Amino acid sequence: MEGKLSHAAKKITLSSIQELSHLAQRCNAINLAEGFPDFPAPPHIKNAAVSAINSDLNQYRHVQGVCDLLAKAVKEMHGLDIDPLTDVAICCGQSEAFAAAIFATIDPGDEVILFDPSYETYEGCVALAGGVPIHVPLDPPQWTLDTSKLLRSFTERTKVVVLNSPHNPTGKVFTKEELEIIAGECCRRNCLAITDEVYEHITYDSLKHLSLASFPGMQERTVITSSLSKSFSVTGWRVGWAIAPAVLASAIQNIHARVTDCAPAPFQEAALTALRSPPEYFESLRRDYQSKRDYIVKLLAGVGFKIEFIPQGSFFLFAELPDNWSLSDVEFVKKLILEAGVVAVPGQGFFHTDLSSNEVSKINCHYQKRYVRFAFCKSDATLTMVAERLSKLLDEQEHLALH
Amino acid sequence: MQVCANHPYKFMRFTPSSKFLGFSNRFHTLIAPSSSPTSKFSSSIVATMSTVSTQNDTFVHTTHQPLQIAKRLEKFQTTIFTQMSSLASKHGAINLGQGFPNFDGPEFVKEAAIQAIRDGKNQYARGYGVPDLNIAIAERFKKDTGLLVDPEKEVTVTSGCTEAIAATMLGLINPGDEVILFAPFYDSYEATLSMAGAKVKCITLRPPDFAVPIEELKSSVSKNTRAILINTPHNPTGKMFTREELNCIASLCIENDILVFADEVYDKLAFDMEHISMASLPGMFERTVTMNSLGKTFSLTGWKIGWAIAPPHLSWGVRQAHAFLTFATAHPFQCAAAVALRAPDSYYVDLKEDYLAKRAILVEGLKAVGFKVFPSSGTYFVVVDHTPFGLENDVAFCEYLVKEVGVVAIPTSVFYLNPEEGKNLVRFTFCKDEETIRSAVERMKEKLKK
Repeated sequence: MEGKLSHAAKKITLSSIQELSHLAQRCNAINLAEGFPDFPAPPHIKNAAVSAINSDLNQYRHVQGVCDLLAKAVKEMHGLDIDPLTDVAICCGQSEAFAAAIFATIDPGDEVILFDPSYETYEGCVALAGGVPIHVPLDPPQWTLDTSKLLRSFTERTKVVVLNSPHNPTGKVFTKEELEIIAGECCRRNCLAITDEVYEHITYDSLKHLSLASFPGMQERTVITSSLSKSFSVTGWRVGWAIAPAVLASAIQNIHARVTDCAPAPFQEAALTALRSPPEYFESLRRDYQSKRDYIVKLLAGVGFKIEFIPQGSFFLFAELPDNWSLSDVEFVKKLILEAGVVAVPGQGFFHTDLSSNEVSKINCHYQKRYVRFAFCKSDATLTMVAERLSKLLDEQEHLALH
Repeated sequence: MQVCANHPYKFMRFTPSSKFLGFSNRFHTLIAPSSSPTSKFSSSIVATMSTVSTQNDTFVHTTHQPLQIAKRLEKFQTTIFTQMSSLASKHGAINLGQGFPNFDGPEFVKEAAIQAIRDGKNQYARGYGVPDLNIAIAERFKKDTGLLVDPEKEVTVTSGCTEAIAATMLGLINPGDEVILFAPFYDSYEATLSMAGAKVKCITLRPPDFAVPIEELKSSVSKNTRAILINTPHNPTGKMFTREELNCIASLCIENDILVFADEVYDKLAFDMEHISMASLPGMFERTVTMNSLGKTFSLTGWKIGWAIAPPHLSWGVRQAHAFLTFATAHPFQCAAAVALRAPDSYYVDLKEDYLAKRAILVEGLKAVGFKVFPSSGTYFVVVDHTPFGLENDVAFCEYLVKEVGVVAIPTSVFYLNPEEGKNLVRFTFCKDEETIRSAVERMKEKLKK
């Protein structure tokens, strides 16, 4: 009965990152694979959820107040004026907001530009909608945008450009210049943009997250997607949103309504509290994550990893295996689990070689198997334990002796 | 407001039907921005939404339109429920239209959710379900049907049954596949089928007993038929598929290698006969996806915990689609759902008793008012024939009912591919406290005259 599966389902595989999480659990290993915190969610937000449950706010609901607060937030952060009544769709996580945005805009055969390396879900979603993912590789080691590569990837079938910034897995925050280039192309080619800004509040070294939608000509053609998950450490609550011009937002809302009806009602209520968090909350979030970033960069660089790019945002470190470590990323991760009891994600899953591209040679692709993604959204105790476990596996040069 | 005789949907601000108003399909996708303070996104989104469907597929795809919406959105309009809800608040009407309770879920389930939040279950749950919930679902299914399923391979947790339906369609249906639906139907079916690119073949269930027209069903099966979608107990009619009907459908499916997608969300609200799961019929488990949820049984419709039970090869398809639709489901509510599903039998007995009492109040009331009431064996819905009151169709009647009588019902034409077929019927719900139902009946007795 495999014949009963749709073509789309056959092409896609289950989340390998989640599988690594389960492996971590089974091996009692430290999970630096999946991007969720192992420290508690902020008490004021949990209390708000508890209060909502007790106040009988448990039936289908759309909490307009969430839209009002989001309108305020995008005005403050990006100078964007939106209508909270028509321009916002509350969804079950950024995941669903993104899926709905894709289904709202992609017809079979439409092309979608994605920047590589990229979060595994975008491509699957595009494929499910019958779209064609087109990958534009960012250039290592700094993950810079090569304008000519971007320009070459547009065709007359290009419908949407997906932009994830701050970026998973590299931690890159797209620069103003890069965003101007992307915006310029979108406008020139009359394409839409869908952004994934879930790490919008997690940027470092005073770098500001800029939304693509705030660039000239972009607001009218951009869907901003984001969520509570990363900003408020509640990845399991599934409250996210899409902000877009009314026609798009309405289309997204209509799809969302038929896919899930509404986001979990008590958590929408709690979102009101979350989105009213004072600036101090976000400052301390940033500070905490920055210190974790610094710790993990120092740790892994110290044990031999090649870290030429320090994360500018998100809570991921995309560390490169040094040339003299002969293991591939997958082999290395396996050894790390078995010998150190630490789980990370092999980088190759984030890279996508377009088979149709003639210019990608085997040598150029080699780097795609040399990266490992570490999530550092973990408590200080967890990160310290990682250091301890690694310290037992060092050679005379104080480098990891797993290779 | 005058309702124009030729345009029954004219009062609906957001969803002009090309069928009735002659606009091209393209117009559907450009939803006029509302200048009214009434939000399209009503503060009370209802359980059952529906679309005004179109049958003309003359949509022209032009490239390089900056706000070009996908073609599939023809089926994704804002709904009559949004419109009715805002009319209801404007007129202070008692809402027997919305398909969700105005009372809350049981304390023990709410407490379990609160405990889960405090215990830190606030991060990603496993994509296809928290292990303990999958186990609880399997245990419950065994109690209900006698079938033993593997919680790891045959149970997938989704954001409500609505998502289970969407994931099933997208995971198992290819563009061009034929899917048979019974009208009237819950509107997300048609919408998600169009997302999957399916061709819908519709069989109408007719009053008074809404029996399955077997011959018509047999003749609509073709070599391209991939699946039949059944909803039992049935929204909006309250019909429950009988064993004979299920057997007929089962034979057809086995003979022609067709799947069944069974939406059984109201299975615990089965009053006049025992609920039968298609999956429990001989030869059917291997080709059936059985879908259900927490919301209706435990009056927690806003938590969005649902599931699909299917053999491994079908579950795999459901899981793929689910992974890209929502990735994971609310963690604390999954923990609470596991507790809920282990409720003692007394919970279910009391639930049925409560709803039976409510049904009695509503049905007796509607009969006394003068409606022709069709027997509803399950769900918390009742459909009635409104024509004794002289309004020309269901939409006009519902409008009149809201404005002049102060009660909300739902026009059932929105549940049909061909709205004409539903114009004599409207749907009332009794998932409200008894006081509310009584008040609504009183208002109708007072103000609704033949």
